[in-house]
Amino acid sequence: MATLIIDGQEVHAEEGQTILEVARANGFEIPTLCYHPQLEPYGACRLCIVEVIRSGRSRLETSCTHPAWDGLEVKTRSPAVIEARRVILGLLLSRCPNVPVIQELALEYGITEPPFPAEDPEEKCILCGLCVRTCHELVKADVLNFSQAGVERRVGPPFLEKTRQCIGCGACTIVCPTGAIEIVLQQAGIYKEKPLGPTAAIWVPSLQAVPNVPVIDIDACIRFRQNDRTEGEIADACGVCQMVCEAGAINFDQQDEVVELAVGTVIVATGFQMWDPAQLSQYSYGKSPNIITGMEFEHLSNAGGITSGEILLADGRMPERVAIIHCVGSRDHNAHKYCSRICCMYSLKQAHLVRDKTGADVYEFYMDMRAFGKGYEEFYERVQEEGVAMIRGRGAEVEVLPDGKLRVKGEDANLGRLVYVDVDMVVLSTAIEAPHDANQVAALFGLSRSEDGFFAEAHPKMRPVETNTGGVFLAGTAQGPRDVPDTVAHAGAAASMALALMDQGEVTISPAVAVVDEELCSACKTCISLCPYTAISFIEEDNVARVNEALCKGCGTCVAACPAGAIMARHFTDLQILAQIEGLFRVPA
Amino acid sequence: MAERYRADILVSCLHDRAPDLIPNLKAEVIRRGLKDEVRVIEAGCRGFCSMGPVLLVEPNGIFYIGVQPADVPELVEETLVKGRVVERLTYEEPTTHASIAYYEDIPFYSKQERIVLRHCGLINPQSIDEYIAVGGYQALGKALISMTPEEIIDELKRSGLRGRGGAGFPTGRKWEAGRKAEGETKYVLVNGDEGDPNCFMDRALMEADPHSILEGLIIGAYVVGAHQGYIYIPYEHSGSVKSMRTALEQARDYGLLGADILGSGFEFDAELRLGAHSFVGGESTALMHAVEGKVSEPRPKHIHTTEVGIWGRPSCLNNVKTLSIVPEIISRGADWFGGIGTETSKGTQVFSLAGKINNVGLAEVPMGITIRELVFDVGGGIPKGREFKALQIGGPSGGFLPASLLDMPMDYETLADAGSMMGTGGVVILDDRTCVVDTARYFLDFLRDESCGKCTSCREGIRCMLEILTRITEGRGEVADLDTLETLGHVVKSVSLCGLGKTAPNPVLSTLRYFRDEYMAHIEDKKCPGGVCKALIEYYIIEDLCNGCGACRRKCPEAAISGEKKEVHVIDPALCIKCGICFDVCKFDAVGVR
Repeated sequence: MATLIIDGQEVHAEEGQTILEVARANGFEIPTLCYHPQLEPYGACRLCIVEVIRSGRSRLETSCTHPAWDGLEVKTRSPAVIEARRVILGLLLSRCPNVPVIQELALEYGITEPPFPAEDPEEKCILCGLCVRTCHELVKADVLNFSQAGVERRVGPPFLEKTRQCIGCGACTIVCPTGAIEIVLQQAGIYKEKPLGPTAAIWVPSLQAVPNVPVIDIDACIRFRQNDRTEGEIADACGVCQMVCEAGAINFDQQDEVVELAVGTVIVATGFQMWDPAQLSQYSYGKSPNIITGMEFEHLSNAGGITSGEILLADGRMPERVAIIHCVGSRDHNAHKYCSRICCMYSLKQAHLVRDKTGADVYEFYMDMRAFGKGYEEFYERVQEEGVAMIRGRGAEVEVLPDGKLRVKGEDANLGRLVYVDVDMVVLSTAIEAPHDANQVAALFGLSRSEDGFFAEAHPKMRPVETNTGGVFLAGTAQGPRDVPDTVAHAGAAASMALALMDQGEVTISPAVAVVDEELCSACKTCISLCPYTAISFIEEDNVARVNEALCKGCGTCVAACPAGAIMARHFTDLQILAQIEGLFRVPA
Repeated sequence: MAERYRADILVSCLHDRAPDLIPNLKAEVIRRGLKDEVRVIEAGCRGFCSMGPVLLVEPNGIFYIGVQPADVPELVEETLVKGRVVERLTYEEPTTHASIAYYEDIPFYSKQERIVLRHCGLINPQSIDEYIAVGGYQALGKALISMTPEEIIDELKRSGLRGRGGAGFPTGRKWEAGRKAEGETKYVLVNGDEGDPNCFMDRALMEADPHSILEGLIIGAYVVGAHQGYIYIPYEHSGSVKSMRTALEQARDYGLLGADILGSGFEFDAELRLGAHSFVGGESTALMHAVEGKVSEPRPKHIHTTEVGIWGRPSCLNNVKTLSIVPEIISRGADWFGGIGTETSKGTQVFSLAGKINNVGLAEVPMGITIRELVFDVGGGIPKGREFKALQIGGPSGGFLPASLLDMPMDYETLADAGSMMGTGGVVILDDRTCVVDTARYFLDFLRDESCGKCTSCREGIRCMLEILTRITEGRGEVADLDTLETLGHVVKSVSLCGLGKTAPNPVLSTLRYFRDEYMAHIEDKKCPGGVCKALIEYYIIEDLCNGCGACRRKCPEAAISGEKKEVHVIDPALCIKCGICFDVCKFDAVGVR
């Protein structure tokens, strides 16, 4: 433990700490530009200089590199320090006259104008080396480094050429204090300045996630990407999250686990996915960053989102006119024939939000307004009263005009003629559809799917949450489009059904099930793929197929298909059927 | 040694001044049938640049200057066959015009005391046998067999030897710190990255006497306990690289490197490390980065490199000259060395004399010599009898010292107090036809390019100071600029990390201190007293002196001079581009500058 005097105050330092660390820990303010707690100190900007007095000799030293030795006396704001910082900031401002961070720091030291002419007034890089060190020490990609010397010094990849070594992680842009490095997103349809798409590699899955903890996206995480790319050669890249997590909760070794649970009932609540509007080119989705889906609008409008809830165009302006197009991908023979059910109401809500937050003119292109639930019609009326223009008729086409404005064309069925509106933003109320992997889920649980792709219930009126597989129930949009209240009700029903089944303890099943004569089974596995209820499994150690009697519905498919004639349906054996036939044909004596 | 010769011709100045000289000499010696009697040796630098190419005929010590291939037949005929001196190739004393035939009698040499350069030009640098013949490696034997490392440290401390790389840190203390540093593996390093633009003493030493450096290095390794050494040389210095490489091979062949050196049980080897040349590359931590294979830029040295150096291990770095002195101290004793020089600066210093001085070259003189002695006695004074204006010492970032300090002794402390520094001993002499503002500007321009660019203060500070100086030399300066220069200079000095930044403002600060009136002349009168800054000068014909020869008129590239034959000529200021050709060609000093 070392003891120092900083500005007359006695402070204590741990072994290995620098003067800057100790000073900041004790509340002394020292400006820095090239310092980052996760990186090796470099001492390039020289702003953190302090007066260090050691054995009677006073010197100006960079506090970020100087060890906090015992017995040092440090002055963080002596006249010599202030004067030197003022000169350094003058030099920095003369290099980068148009960088706000430098302007603000300079102003703190009383400099309003660059004291010397700049070589390049657009220069933003102060050569602090944060990006270089991040790329080397954390990302371990070693893409960025300094080249040339003196005033010609530059930061960049070797020979300032594009390199495949760069993994595009963007860490350099984040540490850059002056915004001198930018990542150019080449993908259209994404807000460049305030991106709706890219985010950090650690995020909370959704804003109301339960449990509300972040996860690491290993496809985006620098550590995992470097590990994959270099086949494990660079194994411990980055790790910043682990360094800063005070709770020590980051564990990179955690692997996905397959958990096997023995259960009696299953509720399938696999939900839906948003239909991709790029499939219908007339909506021009992807051709302008201001054509967004309803889901993207929700991201934009959410208070915890990237614009803190402000509804902004891609260039940061507020929209003046917004069009909302209903039934994009729904009720459309080129996409989904069904009504997605939720879009009318969320579109109305979004129209309300746009009016409320921006005061912009809103145009709703709708076919029919399906305000079907309790209080919904009233809300529709309220939105109309708020001044939202309702145009009855499908929004047929969105055109991106040369000036970036968007022209929405459609038929106003009430007027009986074609109309168009020029707007700043178009929100597409896209359809919801069954998840792309619904097939696999269906196969796993022996479910069938209706024509629309959602899972089929056992009976549309009498058994809306049950499936044909005993003990497997459906909840929510897995079964079909529904809004939140309906989903909650549906899920409640599914839970009740499951509980009722579990509460019985024992389940009475029909005795008419298939049974395999294991002596005859040739292990051809034909039955296994045919069983619609996944009731037959192959027992490796005995080399035979065996029927799970709790799952078997006694449909007889396997009995008929078994090439070895090894499967028999109980109570429907050949002998019994033949006897019945015989009985039928018996002429009463 | 099987061969015996009656004479050696030691040829210096091998670098492209007379590439055919040696082949011609060798051919002539063969032609005259002297092959078995006379030997032609490619010796190293004699340091007398302004007289080159020079050669020395031993054993009688006849010294010839300005030798050209055409002189070879006469030289061989007269000196080697007939035993006579070729008068026209001898040195002529500038004041008495007396011809001096013998090397030892030439004032440039007789006033020197050569310790570092003791063998330079006198032996064949590519022969370890010749080095051993003049007593080489005896000190190593003495050190390894009969002295403990502590005794050597004590000897060096008593001798007062300070590092010759520029900073002047006491060598004994450095080696003591290296010895005391904790660590299994330690390294010794040689700094052969000489960066000052007008200095070449390290190069001269490496090329002319590589074994003396190696001997010092092995002694250093023995003292600090290192078994591996690295000799860092910029690869552009090909002569040094070749010379040191040969020396290493020879030393290895002779068992002076490797296991059990001279039967002492001590094991040590060294290898070359080549880097790209830069001015800042000779800074200790930048050099160590380069040895490690990294970008050669300095890092903070809060913990000395003797404790944490290359690859985090104790590393003892010494300049080539320092290492070359060590064997002499071991052989001749601390008292002998301590008897030379001043109280705090012992021994000699090799100065590289450049600029407006007659004897351009390398001169090794005792520390504490006065500027007057160096410039006028050793250096032979200012050409064309012009007036001494200033001496700039310490390399590009050294300070300027005015004529009023001519009698100041040159040692580390006195120079530092006067606003300059010893540095590696680079000296530039300025006469009254030199502009100090322009010269300061020139050095800052060099430093701007040579700064590694890491520290804001150095990189941007030098750029902005240069900006101001350029403005002043172009006649656009303001009085307030001088205060700004001083403020900037002091901050750059106190805030920058390494020696480059900490000394870079010296040319500006020292000229502001001693030549402020010259700055004021530029700013207020819009005049350049040295007649250098083009924007501020005007060439004119002095009517009384012009005899109308027309030389200037014919040479003027812009046809700005007119005049009839034997009539006084006139320069048209509107056409004049101030190239100064007329000034140079006029044999009657009739072209003036105002």
